[in-house]
Order: sequence, then structure tokens, then C-alpha cells
Amino acid sequence: MLTRIAGGEIVDPVNGRVGKGDLWIEDETIVAAPSGRQPDVTLDAAGCIVMAGAIDIHSHIGGGNVNTARLLLPEQHKAHAPRPAGTPLSNVGWTTFDTGRLYAQMGFTTVVEPAMSPGAALHTHLELADIPIIDKATLAILGNDDFLLSMVRDKASPVMIEDYVAWTVASSRALGVKVINAGAAAAFKDNVRSFSFDDVVPFYGTSSRSIVKTLQAAVGALGIPHPLHVHCNNLGIPGAPDTAAETMAAAEGLPLHLAHLQFYGYGAEGKRGFSSEAARLAALVNSTPEITIDVGQVMFGQTVTISSDVLRQFSARGTANPRKSVIYDGDADGGGIVPHNYRDDYYGSLQWAIGLELFLLIEDPWRVFFTTDHPNGAPFTTYPEIFELLMSREARAKAMEGLSKRALGLSTLPDLTREYTFEEIAIMTRAAPAKLLGLKDRGHLGAGALADVAVYRKGNDIAQMFRSAALVLKNGELVVEDGIAKNYRWGKTLRLKPTPDKAMVKRLEAYHQERYGLSLNWFDFPDSAIPREQPFGEVSCNA
Amino acid sequence: MKPLTFTLRETPPERLDLSPLTPQALAGLSAKEIGQIRLGMSKRGLTVGDLFRVSGSDAKNVVFEGGSSRFDGMGTGMTEGSIRVAGDVGAQAGRKMRGGQLLVEGSAGPHAGSCMRGGRLEILGDAGDHLGGPLAGELAGMNGGVLIVRGSAGAYAADRMRRGVAAVLKGCGDYAGARMIAGTLVVTGGVGRLPGYLMRRGSILLDRMPEELSPSFVECGAPDSVFAAVFDRYLVAEGILRRSLLGAAPGKFGGDNAVAGTGEILFRR
Repeated sequence: MLTRIAGGEIVDPVNGRVGKGDLWIEDETIVAAPSGRQPDVTLDAAGCIVMAGAIDIHSHIGGGNVNTARLLLPEQHKAHAPRPAGTPLSNVGWTTFDTGRLYAQMGFTTVVEPAMSPGAALHTHLELADIPIIDKATLAILGNDDFLLSMVRDKASPVMIEDYVAWTVASSRALGVKVINAGAAAAFKDNVRSFSFDDVVPFYGTSSRSIVKTLQAAVGALGIPHPLHVHCNNLGIPGAPDTAAETMAAAEGLPLHLAHLQFYGYGAEGKRGFSSEAARLAALVNSTPEITIDVGQVMFGQTVTISSDVLRQFSARGTANPRKSVIYDGDADGGGIVPHNYRDDYYGSLQWAIGLELFLLIEDPWRVFFTTDHPNGAPFTTYPEIFELLMSREARAKAMEGLSKRALGLSTLPDLTREYTFEEIAIMTRAAPAKLLGLKDRGHLGAGALADVAVYRKGNDIAQMFRSAALVLKNGELVVEDGIAKNYRWGKTLRLKPTPDKAMVKRLEAYHQERYGLSLNWFDFPDSAIPREQPFGEVSCNA
Repeated sequence: MKPLTFTLRETPPERLDLSPLTPQALAGLSAKEIGQIRLGMSKRGLTVGDLFRVSGSDAKNVVFEGGSSRFDGMGTGMTEGSIRVAGDVGAQAGRKMRGGQLLVEGSAGPHAGSCMRGGRLEILGDAGDHLGGPLAGELAGMNGGVLIVRGSAGAYAADRMRRGVAAVLKGCGDYAGARMIAGTLVVTGGVGRLPGYLMRRGSILLDRMPEELSPSFVECGAPDSVFAAVFDRYLVAEGILRRSLLGAAPGKFGGDNAVAGTGEILFRR
């Protein structure tokens, strides 16, 4: 089928195409304008911006922790009753179905769940398979697991570690590797309650730095396109900018991605010992070209924090609002679910400002990524408001009116005049994520690209424009019209497929037999376990 | 003025949500407006007019002639006035009520008085499980007011109670006063297994020694208790009981030590 999206303003920075024109789609693929053929369907995009479908690189949409959050907050989904306003995530559907629907309506077509515990891979993939419309992907968590830490302690050869990482990525069907507060969850089991980059994990004798460096090297050597995704130590603590700076310096010229940097932007200045060091972090990012970051913007209101950083969640449980939380000290990372209400007081205002400072002070839109760390900073349904804050100085000034003056005085935000352009938005939310994740078939509108297209009706209300896309196409199928999802197709989960080394499989078999008395089969699953035709889409590793 | 009276025409064909029919919500509404209030829980869209014959005009005094176990949410959030139901009610009667009086002459379903904060809820028949208790995810149950069940109650009576007085006169099921945070639960006629299970504070007052307690309760003998004498007088003065419950020097268990609790179970020896 030949589709023409007619008369829209095309924003495709990758192919240098910006301006009015038609976009042609044949079946699942974008094609060059064919000569002498009539389209089967013409979609009118006059007065609209046409971009590739957006990609979210860091949003907790499925898996054990998300499900535990659902269990902790059953008041969220009382059957047959209207959702009470002001309860956690009251503005987000809490189901897999709503996750797909709401993302698609904003023009997002690919979303990455960034924290899949390999042991919970089957659960995560079953849940992702239940999210309609969009494509999904996961990052597998490593770095607090006994097998890896033992290898680091015993100075195993880099090849052996690569084999283990390859097996983990292959068996858990991941698109990359994430390390969360490297070593801290393992140390937490020995009653350690604070853990920095050069602290040593008891029993294993290895530092956080050496775990990060080991994994970074393995990810690079395996040709995994997405650089190691690092959740640094000391999240949320005043003084964390030092930790983030140390971690960036440790990249040593090789790619490294730092997640939700906003949570590391807190200085210890001022009467309350809480200030913004966003400018310092942004300068560091600007001068360190191998580093990419995502922001983890905070927006005000009730949400719930979901993290496998068990040490951090354990120390945050006293601030739980409503006053209940789940902390579990599980195998490898464990995790914690702590509901949180971001208020527009001094602390909340500053957190909000620090995120925006990072967005506006980091110059290269190819290296700063658009996230709220959903739902940790804010639910993903706040994205339209954040786009507006980035694209309009006036919207920022208006938002700042009601916030703590004292907090804003300690940040550079009131002085920042930058406004994101549509091209920069297209790079930050489309082109750059595709490049970062190694998804060559999307993120742009060139001939041969997958026909994931988002069309937004231009208007004065930027938030409204991004909240309900005029048209969204996924794999060439029209899925959203006038902000309403119409076609609940099933997307795929994107994965890498490195070939596991036979000797490593044998070793892991012996390890699991000895540790758990269970065959390795219990920690793997066949594709047929996912009840969809072709649940996975394969992404190739770099040569 | 005659009480605003809702006379049930026939057994309701589906579960109803009666939460819109509180004195404060009905005040100032015309007969026509009242007739159009939707009560049905299904797609049929049943209204007051479909179910009831409405007479009288004093919205401060609401009367239901006839009840049903499908009458859910009776008196939800009421703050003033009175409601009398000549019949049964369903789930969540008097949920989150803050004031006024709700009298159920028949029996009530589960979660009667759930999270109530004030006022007086009296049930002449029996009550279901989770009397005064929270719904899933809520942190505290009954939070004030007086709740009286003249018949029996099911399991988990006064679950997670935080404040107020709940009294059950003809016995209740297992786990009476489970997870109590504070407040007072009175039960005559016997309790089931493990009263006070995981209670943190609060008082459970019984007319006899409990038969099966969690092993994490400690026997405390029969200490002198001014509270027992004062509360005995209150129960009679309030018309909850005819004669004193605990008497002089009642027996006492302390617990639940499984949660480092400092609650008490007092009983007539």
C-alpha cells in the first residue's frame, strides 16, 4: 500500500530535510517520492509538523518492580470507581494497555524499559508483550550479581567477562546493559549504608569504579551499540555532583551513558545545604564528548519511585508519601518502591529547576536525552508540559512564578534564554536515541527507514500539540488520529542476539546447579513463552 | 416537615451506589432533581425515580422504607442530619462518614463504617467482614465516631482502627481488632481466633477471656484500671450496653509483641 502524508512541514535533521513537502510510505517503509504513481491513501498534514516517531530511552514500563508498585498502591485501580484525583499516578493509566495507548497518542513509537533484572526477564517480556502499538526494548541489569563480582575479584580474563555479559544479554533478550549503583546492592547485604565510586564491596574486594570499567569494556568489546548505561552512586544526595564527575572522568574516552543526571545535580550550598550544581555538570558534559546523559526531569505532583538501587530506596523510605513502601534485598540488585509527592517547595522547586538547567545548558542535543525517569521524576504523561518548558521561555517564566524564589535564586534557570527548536526536539527525541541504541531503521524520515511517523498540528499551545498527535503511523499503519488511538496493533521487543559461548554456558550451568540446585534452563526461556507471533525484533551488534 | 422518604418499589435488579443520597447532598434539590439521580452500577442507568417512590421534603431526615443487600455505599461521607434504613444495606455503609446519624434496622454487608471519622452508625442486625476497616491500599480504618452493631460481625472487625469506639454485641469472627493502630473495640458474645492480631496500640474490651490468642500476647494479671471503670460508665450512659462490661479489676493481655505493640485486651474475669 502506498501512503502519502501531504503538505506537512517535515523536520528530519538526519537527512537535512526541513520544510514543506510530502512524505511517501510503501507498506512498512518510507520511500522516495515515486514518479507516476497515485497513492492509495493520502493523509492531509497541512499546518502540521512531521517527525519520525519519538523514542524514549529510559522509562520504567514493565517488570518486577513496576508490578510491585502496582501491588503497593492498589488504591490506584479500584474496580468500577473513578480514579481518585491526587493519588499516585492518578493521571497515568497503570495498565500495560494504557502505557501503549498514552505513549502512542503523544507520538512515541519505541520505549525502552531500562532496568530489567535478568532473573525477571520472562516476567518483563510477558508484560512488554502486553503493551500495544509501540515497540519496546530492555536493558539488562548487571554489576551487583555474585557471578560477575566473583569474576572481577578473581581477575577473570576480559574474554570470560564478555562471554558472561553476552550470555546475559542473549538469554534475557536485552538491547543493552545497565549498571545500578555498581557494587552498592552487594555491599548493602553487608549492612553498608552509603557507597561511593571508589568504595570497596566487602567480601568481593572490588570497587564501584572497577565494576563500571569492567562492564564498559565488555559492552564495547561485544559491539553492543548502546554504551554502558550507568546509574551512578549517591543518587539524590547533596554532593552527588562529585560522584557524577568522577564517573564521567572514568569514561576515559570510551562511550558511557549516565542516567537521570538531574538526581545528581544537588550541591550542598545555601542555608538548607541543598543547591544546584547543574551548571557544573552541564559544563562537564559539554567538555566530555564520549558522555551521553538523560535528564530525569522532575515535575510536581504525586508519583512513585521505582528503583533497583536498594541502598538509596532504603534510605528514602522515611519520606514515603503515602507512608508505605516495599524494600526487598533480593538476589543481585533487589529494589525498592517508595511513593513520593514532589511539592513546589524549596527542594522540589530546585529539583525541577536543575533538570531544566541541564536541558538548556548542555549544548549538543545529540548527547542529552529527554526523560523523566518515569515514574521516578514524574509520570511520562507530563512530557507535553516539559516540551513546552523547553521550547518557550515565556512558559518557563510563568511556571517559575509560583515556585520558591529562594530556590530559583540558587539556580541559573531564571537567566537562561535558550528555546529548543523543532529540529533540536527531533534530534533529542528521535535521531539521537536511535543512534544511541543502534536502531538504524528509525529516528529519521529518509528512504528505507521504518515508517514510524508522528504528525503534530501546529498551534500556540505547545503542550497540547505534543499531548495529542494529529496522526501517528507505526510500521506504516495509521494508529492514532486526532490524539485518539484507533488501531491497537502489537509492536515488537527489540533485542540483541549475541551467540553465547559454549564453555560459559557450561560454567553457568554448574554455577546454577551449585548455588540454586536448579538447572540453567530455569533462568532462560524459549521465545514461544511469549504469546505473540514474532515477539522479538533483532538488532545487530556493531562489527 | 415530614422526613424525605424513599420507599423501595421492588427488589433492585442490580447493585446500587447510594452514596449520592446523603442529607447534605439532597439539601435544596427539587423532587424532579432527586428523581433523576443515577444510582445503578450497570450500563442500564437506573435512577432514583426508577427504584423509589419519594415523599416528604425534610432532607435533614432521610428515611428508606425497605432495604436490600444491594444497597451499597449508604450514607457515604455524610456530615450531618440522619438516615434511617428500614431494611438491609450492602457494602460500605457509612464509609468515610464524618457526622450525623445512620441507623440500619436490618443487616449490613462488608466494610460497614469503613474509614468513618465521626458521627454515629448503628446497625440493629449483623455486619459483614471488615467492620470499619480500610479498603485495599488505605493505611488506616475507622478514624473516629461511634459504630454499634447490635447483632454479630464477621472477620476483621475494626481492622486497622485508629480512633473512635466500635461495639459488637453478639460476637464477631476471627481477627477482631487486627492491626489496630489505636481506638477502642468492644465485643460481647465472644470473639473468634486471634483477636488483636498485630495490634500496635488501642484497647479491645471483652465480656469473657479470649479463647485463642496469638502467642505474642503477654498475660498481665488484673491491674487496677481507672480506664475500665470510666469506660464501663460511658458504655451504659451512651446506651450501647445495659450493664457494665468489665467490672472491677478486669484481666489483661498486652501485645501484640510481634510488632512491638503496646495494645491491651481487657476482659471481665
